[in-house]
Amino acid sequence: MKQEDTSFLTKYGKDPGFKVPENYFADFNKRMVDMLPDVEITPVDVKPTMWQRVRPLVYLAAMFAGVWCMLTVLKNVNNTDPYAVGAVAEKLTDDKSNVDEFIMSGSVSDYDIINYEDSVVMSNEEEVIEQND
Amino acid sequence: MAAREKYDEAVVVAQLHDPNQCKAAFGKVIEHYSSQLYWQIRRMVIDHDDANDVLQNTFLKAWTSIDNFRGDAKLSTWLYKIAINESITFVNKKKVMNQLSIDDDESFLVNQLESDEWFDGDEAQINLQKAIATLPDKQRLVFNMRYYDEMKYDEMSEILGTSEGALKASYHHAVKKIEQYLSEKG
Repeated sequence: MKQEDTSFLTKYGKDPGFKVPENYFADFNKRMVDMLPDVEITPVDVKPTMWQRVRPLVYLAAMFAGVWCMLTVLKNVNNTDPYAVGAVAEKLTDDKSNVDEFIMSGSVSDYDIINYEDSVVMSNEEEVIEQND
Repeated sequence: MAAREKYDEAVVVAQLHDPNQCKAAFGKVIEHYSSQLYWQIRRMVIDHDDANDVLQNTFLKAWTSIDNFRGDAKLSTWLYKIAINESITFVNKKKVMNQLSIDDDESFLVNQLESDEWFDGDEAQINLQKAIATLPDKQRLVFNMRYYDEMKYDEMSEILGTSEGALKASYHHAVKKIEQYLSEKG
């Protein structure tokens, strides 16, 4: 809303300067009800929708769920054992299965690969020469 | 002073269709909506006495056709629609009475502002009302609902039966026109 309004409108504000007599709305409401003519109303059984019926229960359940979540989080925060955290960290750092192969492969450069391929070709050639001899 | 009963729309709508409770329920509707409908109407018709008459007609029309209201739409949307139709009909009648064409500038409505005892705005506010009065009816409605009532576009869309995109464009055009009018008037 604020982004839409151009600056020139801020000079004028949101009060159009209209006023009403004192107690106008209270008097109007009373006068209006007295003025209503008799009308024929067909009785209709307006049944509340399923959502309207279950809404209070849903809100109540959501409130309890929220409180339960909050208590669980608070409980976990309070029960955190610093020694247990240290042990888990130690286990993780020792566990070789946690070494990411992708990261490891990143440390092999193109130069290493070419050298490796050259050494394989060289050793194959040596084997062929030995067989010929 | 008696404590005011809390307004529950679902309960009131159900009571409106009960012949034994409908009048009392409509009294609650009047009490709940009279102020917001009044200001919407007042910004369209400008004059307090005219706004009072249009508001009365709005509630009378709603009351006499209450049997047709089945609660498919929100009660507020239904009442706003009646109020807006009544306001536009009134403005057009007033133009005819003043022998102006429907497309004529509507600033005749605000020319009487300075002499209205229920207006205490300054010159800037009069100029703004004159600028708003130059807008076509629909743009004027959109501007009033958005600028003064800060109504959401989806609510306006339900009341006016226009897409949100069209309403945003309408508001943008209205602001530009008002800006131009005011800059021309200095």
